[in-house]
Amino acid sequence: MTSTFRFRKFSLLTGTLMGATMLTSPVFAEGVIDVAIIGEPPTLDPMMSTADVVSIVTQHFFETLYTFDENWAVVPLLAQDMPEISEDGLTYRIPLREGITFHDGSTMDSADVVASLQRWLKVSTRGKGVAEQVAGIETDGANTVVITLTESYSPLLSLLAFSNAAAMIVPEEVLGEELSAIVGTGPYKLEEHLPDQYIQVTRFDDYVSREEPSSGGSGKREQILDEIRFVPVPDAATRVEGVLSGQFQFADGLPTEAYDRIESTDGVEPMLLAPFGWPIFAFNLKEGLMADQNVRSAVQAALAPEDMLYAAFGDEKFFVTDAALFPESFQWHNEEGAELYNQADAAKSQELLSKAGYDGSPLRILTSHQYEFHYKMAEVAKVYLEAGGFTVELDVVDWATLTQQRDNPAAWDIYITHSPFLPEPALTSMYSPTSRLGWANEEKDAVLKEFTSETDPEKRLELFAELQKLVYEQAPFYKVGGFNTLLAKSTALDGVTETPWPYFWNASLSE
Amino acid sequence: MTSYVLQRFAGMLVVMFLVLTTVFIVVRLAPGDPAALMLGPEATPQDVADLRARLGLDRSIPVQYAQFLVDVVRGDLGQSIFFNQPVGSLLLQRAEPTIFLSLFSILIAVSIALPIGIASAYTRGTLFDQGTISTAMLAASVPSFWLGLIFQQQLGTRLGWFPVSGYGGPDTSFIERMRYLILPSIVLGIVNSALIIRFTRASMLDILSDDFIRTARSKGMSEWQVVIKHGLKNALIPIVTVIGLTFALLISGAVVTERVFNLPGIGSLVVGAVLRRDYPTIQGALIVVAGLYVLINFLIDMLYLVIDPRVKY
Repeated sequence: MTSTFRFRKFSLLTGTLMGATMLTSPVFAEGVIDVAIIGEPPTLDPMMSTADVVSIVTQHFFETLYTFDENWAVVPLLAQDMPEISEDGLTYRIPLREGITFHDGSTMDSADVVASLQRWLKVSTRGKGVAEQVAGIETDGANTVVITLTESYSPLLSLLAFSNAAAMIVPEEVLGEELSAIVGTGPYKLEEHLPDQYIQVTRFDDYVSREEPSSGGSGKREQILDEIRFVPVPDAATRVEGVLSGQFQFADGLPTEAYDRIESTDGVEPMLLAPFGWPIFAFNLKEGLMADQNVRSAVQAALAPEDMLYAAFGDEKFFVTDAALFPESFQWHNEEGAELYNQADAAKSQELLSKAGYDGSPLRILTSHQYEFHYKMAEVAKVYLEAGGFTVELDVVDWATLTQQRDNPAAWDIYITHSPFLPEPALTSMYSPTSRLGWANEEKDAVLKEFTSETDPEKRLELFAELQKLVYEQAPFYKVGGFNTLLAKSTALDGVTETPWPYFWNASLSE
Repeated sequence: MTSYVLQRFAGMLVVMFLVLTTVFIVVRLAPGDPAALMLGPEATPQDVADLRARLGLDRSIPVQYAQFLVDVVRGDLGQSIFFNQPVGSLLLQRAEPTIFLSLFSILIAVSIALPIGIASAYTRGTLFDQGTISTAMLAASVPSFWLGLIFQQQLGTRLGWFPVSGYGGPDTSFIERMRYLILPSIVLGIVNSALIIRFTRASMLDILSDDFIRTARSKGMSEWQVVIKHGLKNALIPIVTVIGLTFALLISGAVVTERVFNLPGIGSLVVGAVLRRDYPTIQGALIVVAGLYVLINFLIDMLYLVIDPRVKY
């Protein structure tokens, strides 16, 4: 490797000056990769957090009963098959795979699954969201689990499959308010965790893979790499330099400006994850200006998403101006309500404001520099909103403050966030009447209820289209558009699937 | 002298108590919530409230303060909210890169600054002197993150001489880990040499114009003896002070450079803890850093006694 040779040569020259024997070049064990992630995961307990970086790391050592294939369809993972669902949709009978070993050597049985799911209902944000509908979770023999619901809830399997706020299965003995050990069934096991330095996972030799062909997160999981080291690198420029210099074989969340450099550097290639997600202006329907439907519609009329996206991402390669809440590659894609998107109509906004009796009070937009594209979008939005008759106040705080402030309805009118496109609409909390947006009314609640209890897939698509129409008519939030995300990998690293939550089983290093 | 040492020591304790209190108050006054950050973007307000209660963050501020003081007196810096580890052991993990980075940086800074500062004073008013002053001003003005990025791109990415990020993996030996410190040490060494150059030059200029230097020359001593033995020895007090303070600042304040090079040192621990509002870690790290700062100041004062016995208190 040229860089290694150069380093040795340089070390010989400078060794005396540095007063140390620094002649050794780094020795990488075969089949070891370093993966630069955007920061230290706030926890290694994926039930506890909905942060994407937690999912990315922990899915290597924790597994769920179900997972998603490449088309985001739910398929079994630790479950043997899809569940038998009773005709009324209230009983899910889940057969478990036999002979599954945990990292501590114990064997998974239905008691572990029941205990894990019960904890999930208690501590996980997504689990708590469904807890009211769950009447009971019981074992039926060593290898079957039965979940009974009080009312039909069709997103249940998606919730059980998601690696984010995951219903992961761990031995009953490690469960508590906190996990007493990081023990899962995944293809890799946690070897060592030095906070802010690395999270080292190594091949779990007793892993029993599924035999179906790999598809997305489902099917065969081959442990070709011996070891994966997740290295938290909060500074995006450092992640870029690290992957360009060959220090990392994969880097997540890179600034789009780095695309050309990555593309023109030998041994590295950009991975453009398109589509990745959507920037969101979340509205406060609980109190203040935005509780008024006319004011929300005025915001919707005033905004110019294309300009906001240009400012945020700089190049059309990285974004799409699109009304649909799911991009075309998802089954949920539809165009209902699209005529109310991308209006940039200042006159209409002013008219709606005068109808609302707007008195010029400042519209408070809460944002931060944590994600620079949030701030850039806010700056452009301010200009268009002012043209539309609003007085706008940008409240720029750090991310920790924003996550606290948004829980106080008196402190904001709009806050800016973003989300990856999730496999199932019900995984997004914004539709829920109990979310911090407070989007609740009879019409919408009825559609949402029907959507979450309907089991016919075709009918669910129709109901989601109705829900999307209501999003545009009632404006509980504003989808600015779609954006892509830039990742980079060594050309020697093969078998990495493009997904918002990258994983490295099935990945290999070539010479 | 003993009473002076005791007096200074008592002063240190008072300063530390004030630091403890200030750190606690400032950290609690800042908005932001560790529970919300830990739970992620989809967490509901109720989830956040539940976790706050579990972490004991819902207790009243005076109760938390009293508990904090009792723990510190016992030598317990608390438990990190995010890492679920004692803050003391987190700090120990982070001490190695920070201490060696500071040591290498100060060595580089002093190696650059002392000869240049002395030569500049000796050649006062010449082109060399003017060039040196201008270069030192430029070095002091260059932001360390910018210099770091340039070094990273040119010496790390383009030439491949040094790693650009981190502090090695699980199988990295001590010697290899030191290699990760070369680039950031050079950056900090260059940036911090500027102040030491200016202090050395100024202090040497004062001394070189003194009568005893003229006397030394008239006795026929060599220029080397005059400048180094008589001049530098007497100019050392302000120079040692600035070197000591620079070292203390490096230990506590190499934050930007640690972040650019992704070094898991104390500086980056504090920044990460502040961004995550990991109260026990912020408090523990700042107490240790402030303690070191106060201790180094104390040692500098003690060093005065050694360098110049005329210093009477």
